[in-house]
Amino acid sequence: METQQAPVVELDHIGKRYEQKVAVADLSFQISPGMIFGLLGPNGAGKTSSIRMMIGITLPDSGTVRLFGEPFRRAHLRRIGYLPEERGLYGKMGVLDQLVFLGRLHGLGAMAAERSARAWCEKLEIAEVLQKKTEELSKGMQQKIQFIATLLHDPELIVMDEPFAGLDPINSNLLESALLDLRKAGKAILFSTHRMDQIEKMCDRICLVNQGREVLSGGMREIKSRYPRNRVAIEFEGDGSFLEDPSIAEIRDYGNHVELKLKDGADPQQLLRRASGQARIFRFEMMEPSLEEIFIRTVKGEANA
Amino acid sequence: MPDALLIAQREYLQRVRSKAFLFTTLAFPLLLGIIFGGRFFAASQSQARSSPALVIASNDLNLAQDVRENLESDTAPLHTVTVIAPASPAELDQLRHAVEEGHYEGLLWLESVPGVAQPQAIYESRNVENGSSTVLLQDAIALAVTRRELAAQGLTREAIHRAIHPVDLKVVHLKSSRSQSLLSYAAPYIMAFVLYFSVIYYGMNVARSVVQEKTSRIFEVLLATTRPQSLMAGKLLGVGAVGLTQIAIWLALALLWAKPAMARFGMAGASLAHLGITFSQTAFFVLFFLLGFLFYSAVAAGFGACLDSEQEIQQFSFIIVLPMVVCLVLTPDILQHPSGPLAVALSLFPPCTPIVMFLRMSAQAPPAWQVWLSLVLMGAAIWAALWIAARIYRIGILMYGKRPTLPEIVRWMRYS
Repeated sequence: METQQAPVVELDHIGKRYEQKVAVADLSFQISPGMIFGLLGPNGAGKTSSIRMMIGITLPDSGTVRLFGEPFRRAHLRRIGYLPEERGLYGKMGVLDQLVFLGRLHGLGAMAAERSARAWCEKLEIAEVLQKKTEELSKGMQQKIQFIATLLHDPELIVMDEPFAGLDPINSNLLESALLDLRKAGKAILFSTHRMDQIEKMCDRICLVNQGREVLSGGMREIKSRYPRNRVAIEFEGDGSFLEDPSIAEIRDYGNHVELKLKDGADPQQLLRRASGQARIFRFEMMEPSLEEIFIRTVKGEANA
Repeated sequence: MPDALLIAQREYLQRVRSKAFLFTTLAFPLLLGIIFGGRFFAASQSQARSSPALVIASNDLNLAQDVRENLESDTAPLHTVTVIAPASPAELDQLRHAVEEGHYEGLLWLESVPGVAQPQAIYESRNVENGSSTVLLQDAIALAVTRRELAAQGLTREAIHRAIHPVDLKVVHLKSSRSQSLLSYAAPYIMAFVLYFSVIYYGMNVARSVVQEKTSRIFEVLLATTRPQSLMAGKLLGVGAVGLTQIAIWLALALLWAKPAMARFGMAGASLAHLGITFSQTAFFVLFFLLGFLFYSAVAAGFGACLDSEQEIQQFSFIIVLPMVVCLVLTPDILQHPSGPLAVALSLFPPCTPIVMFLRMSAQAPPAWQVWLSLVLMGAAIWAALWIAARIYRIGILMYGKRPTLPEIVRWMRYS
């Protein structure tokens, strides 16, 4: 999936302190065109601070930010779409007026901004709200408007902090496929979220930060392959006494299936043989570690270290 | 279009189209009209009450009619006059009684004595008359006598008229001699009040708008393309333009209202100039609005960036408006003693300059060097306020949840 084109974002050992607290320390990563990059981390890990430095809202105390192959310049900002975690729209303003205003602020002409706003509203199925006041819309609709505002000017770099927060599955899918289209069109996309399933599904590369430092980074496949496949999902009927096997470290019973975590070095084939001797097996799946698991393990490991 | 102008344009259109703008634009003059109009009405009513019915009794009908004519031909007639002549002693008693009952304000008894030019004149009244009224009666009688004597000398009616036609006296209003008239006080007073109101109202609007954008988190979206300085400049420009628009509407309303209103007060053909509102005064009004607005809105923007809610603005607004309130309270003193040490000092103190210098200029032309000095000081103060506010603004708008301490704010200013 990774392309060899020049990276759109290059953060090189950036750091930032606020008063007594280190917000970001020595963080480096790159994002290439056509890539979805996931920035993960617990609350207060420094994700938002990193993003703010990346787009020049604040300046790093150390390190450098390069965008589109050159040192950061304010002119770059018109090629970036930014959806902050803290959403903001003018409640009293009409939706179309608002989108046109934000589009013009990103360098579009009034006509072009309106055309783009209408096209995006069609695409995200909310064309009927264009004439309404923003404050009359539901949270989810406002979220879509904000999403559109980020993309109006056809940015080459898209930065989204928690883009799916507060959306129902239908709208969530709608935005997801919009982002996947944008990736296909060669845009560089960074998003930051707590929703591990979404990161897992969409991201090509991730960077996990904790307490302002990078603790894990790389391609999604490569990171996962670093962790052993020691989780097993079993769907069965009949005698469940195989679940007391000494090779099992942890059991989670979900009713229609159980998920097991095997002890290090345990042989799953042996467990399968024992299980199939006792019960009817419908499914026996060796699962790769979920990102959530990796996330929790890494962050906790940090805390314990 | 530069970002700041785009932001100003949005701010302007959004506000001018709002119901609040329509409301304040209409309600404020209405309120002023009720307060000040009520006073004028009361004043004019008391004038009407003091224009009493008068009765002239005489043994000489011609003389009595002549005096009545003189009294009534006055440009602002003070009396309605009834003439009873020749009057019998019984009628005279009846009239005296009528005066006592309050049907007439007073009774003027004129008795021509043959062979003597001057008639005997007795004025009887329940009230102790004020001087000007007695002088009016004396003048009217003297004029009638003069006319009769000239006619006796053989002069024609026209010749007499030419000789004693009142001189059209032009009255020149010298700035240095303080005018006592109600109207010439009212104009600067009302204008100072409007100045106070608009500077505070729009300054506070800036603070409120900063806090609203902060709580709605739209700053973060805007800051992703534009500089905090442009945001602040755009906001001040936009809100200031709304203020100017409102003032322009008020001035236009005042012009429309002034003519018919003054015609009703018996000043037909009058204009705003007769109210003591001159073109240069209007120009200075606009200038001082702009200066005051820039200063106070910069201060308010800085405050707004440190605060998190409208309630907090309420708490702090008192500190911001305090100097203006002091000026407003001292307005009568400043108009009384426009060159006194208090007025001079306050007019050179930038937070007070807009109102106090405006009042001084309305009451009496202050020395040019003081005007220039106040403008220079004001300019420097605005520059300093903008500089400090921009620095606080840049960092404050991204800080949520906790009000910064003073040392923190000082540190913000040192960040480059």
